[in-house]
Amino acid sequence: MTASRRLLPWLLLTPALLIFAGLTLYPLGRTLALSLFATDYGFENAKFVGLENFRELWDSRFFRQAVTNTVLFTVVSTVLEVAAGLGLALLLDRAFPGRTLIMTLLLAPFVLSTMVVTAIWRAWFHFDLGFLNNLLRTVGLPGVPWLFDPNLALWSIVLVDVWQTAPFAFLIIFAGLRLIPQDVYEAARVDGAGPWRRFRDMTLPLLAPYLFVAALLRSVDSFKLFDKVYAMTGGGPGQATETVSMFVYRQGFRFFDIGLASAAAVVMIAVAGLLAIVYAASLLKGAGR
Amino acid sequence: MRTMGKALGAVLMLAGLVLPAAAQDRLVIAGRDAGFAPALAKMVELYQAKNPNVKIERLELGGGPLYERLAVGAREKTAATDVAMLDDIWAPEFMARGWLTDLDTVGGLPGEFVKSAIDVSKHNGKLYAAPFVGNIAMFAYRKDLLAKHGFERPKTWSDVVKAAQTIQSKEEGVSGLVFRGIKGNPIVTSFLPVLWAHGGDVVSADGKAVLDSPAAEKALTQFLSFKALAPKGVETYNATELRDAIQQGRAAIAVEMWSSWAGTLDGSASKVAGQVEVVASPGEVKGPAPMLGAWLLGIPADSPNKARAADFIRFVTSPENQKLIALETGNPPTLAALFNDKDLVAKYRWYPAQLEALNVAQARPRISQWARVETILGDYLQLALIGQMQPKQALTEANAQIARALSR
Repeated sequence: MTASRRLLPWLLLTPALLIFAGLTLYPLGRTLALSLFATDYGFENAKFVGLENFRELWDSRFFRQAVTNTVLFTVVSTVLEVAAGLGLALLLDRAFPGRTLIMTLLLAPFVLSTMVVTAIWRAWFHFDLGFLNNLLRTVGLPGVPWLFDPNLALWSIVLVDVWQTAPFAFLIIFAGLRLIPQDVYEAARVDGAGPWRRFRDMTLPLLAPYLFVAALLRSVDSFKLFDKVYAMTGGGPGQATETVSMFVYRQGFRFFDIGLASAAAVVMIAVAGLLAIVYAASLLKGAGR
Repeated sequence: MRTMGKALGAVLMLAGLVLPAAAQDRLVIAGRDAGFAPALAKMVELYQAKNPNVKIERLELGGGPLYERLAVGAREKTAATDVAMLDDIWAPEFMARGWLTDLDTVGGLPGEFVKSAIDVSKHNGKLYAAPFVGNIAMFAYRKDLLAKHGFERPKTWSDVVKAAQTIQSKEEGVSGLVFRGIKGNPIVTSFLPVLWAHGGDVVSADGKAVLDSPAAEKALTQFLSFKALAPKGVETYNATELRDAIQQGRAAIAVEMWSSWAGTLDGSASKVAGQVEVVASPGEVKGPAPMLGAWLLGIPADSPNKARAADFIRFVTSPENQKLIALETGNPPTLAALFNDKDLVAKYRWYPAQLEALNVAQARPRISQWARVETILGDYLQLALIGQMQPKQALTEANAQIARALSR
């Protein structure tokens, strides 16, 4: 192999590597560096404080609560969205009249902007005038304090997230379902496998990569939760819906405590990175590499 | 072909010569959205008509995004804003850091403004901003309901509690009072007049955290007693919900009624038109302490169009335009004489009372860290409101956090 042939792949990769370095590595490195300083903006007038910002985070009850909320939200919303996506995909995998219309309606929440979705749900959640509580009252049940009960508010936001983004999981899983060859099921039927057995031993294993991709994309997105909380509860009541993204935003852009915000961002990156490694390892293992 | 090339070259050269010069006479105005937007929009429309050669760009932003744009722009010296609309609580930071232009260096500002509003526009004796909206936290009550149950205008917060308890127990579907309980700025602005009336404060005159006082504990205990008298879900109430509750007759007393909200109380959407009295906040151990919430107009220090910006600010704060803004958009003026203008009083019957309130108005602490202090206080107030912390613990922890923020 000549030198020019050896260099060619690197040459072709250079633009992508430069963009990756400029848009990903540089901000990451800068954030990591800023997390070691007390600064109200950049490195100008910054004072090196070592791990002091991380200690402050550890001591902060609000940050600990934000981490707990974020992890809870990510796990529960991801599981529910993938489960709902799977259920919908199985339901709509067979032909029936009106299927196209139902699919279109199902996808509608996903194409709405989050601000529109939160405005709709904030109105629906209103204790006195909201659609949901009026519905409950018509059947003789009491109203539910959807957004102002600290034990319920986070789950109300999970509900909104599932409503809006389960269609996304559905799309991925439905595409996977359509790619499973029908003759596999026919052979199973011939061998006497019932519906549950076919689902458990054939559909689920064959759909696993798609379920995994849906879970990966949804959990990464959920982990960044900001807009729904910002628009619906502002992180309250109390700290019940505060997330790490909200914490970083507030420290960084409201208080310009850039060192502390960077430290919180580093924690966030570390957790998200861990999540990505677990997923990547599982995907590679599944692919036999 | 050669002729076309020359013509193109000439056009480009002319564009290069002419366009930058023309583009310099421009104004970028960064202002608030919601109820404030129509006021600036109207002024831009009128100013544009008088100055057709000025290219004006007006931005409408929420409170948070506006602060971020202005603060980041000032730090980065982006020269991206010529006229900045500022909450009076941001002004100390902007003025102390040298982010605003001394208005006396660009022609000054004529007009007799309300003293409390002009005071918050100054730093070290220099005028850095023009009072634009004379907002103040007032207090509103249903005079028909209070009279029906034998109450007069409440003079103290204890009177408020008594009236609210009676009305709530005797009027089906009417809560005794309503306030903004959502965390952050809203719950803090609801609480501060109560705190001040009890003789407490957040930060002392010499810049120390003083929230862990017996007066503050009494104030917070009383403030928390409001919750049982408010509509369910008041923990999430912001301005819209508060106004709805009053206008739809679902609450008898509004702990705070900003003058810029009051414009719709007698409107067609209100079920209680003419029945809501808007007055200065009650006192308690001290006299009334209505909270100033003025909005100001300033010129960022890096603006490339300071003379034009100053001209626009003088235009907006002229008596005729301040009156026009009040009449057409409900945003209260900042020129003292207008609060007794007969046209304005005919439309907004509480304006004389509002001027009285403005004359005794208390501004929030003039410290550059107020945004952070307010957020800390808002967090702990809400933890107390939802019962996750006792008042004393909330105040002690908030005070420690505030002291830490002030030391930075």
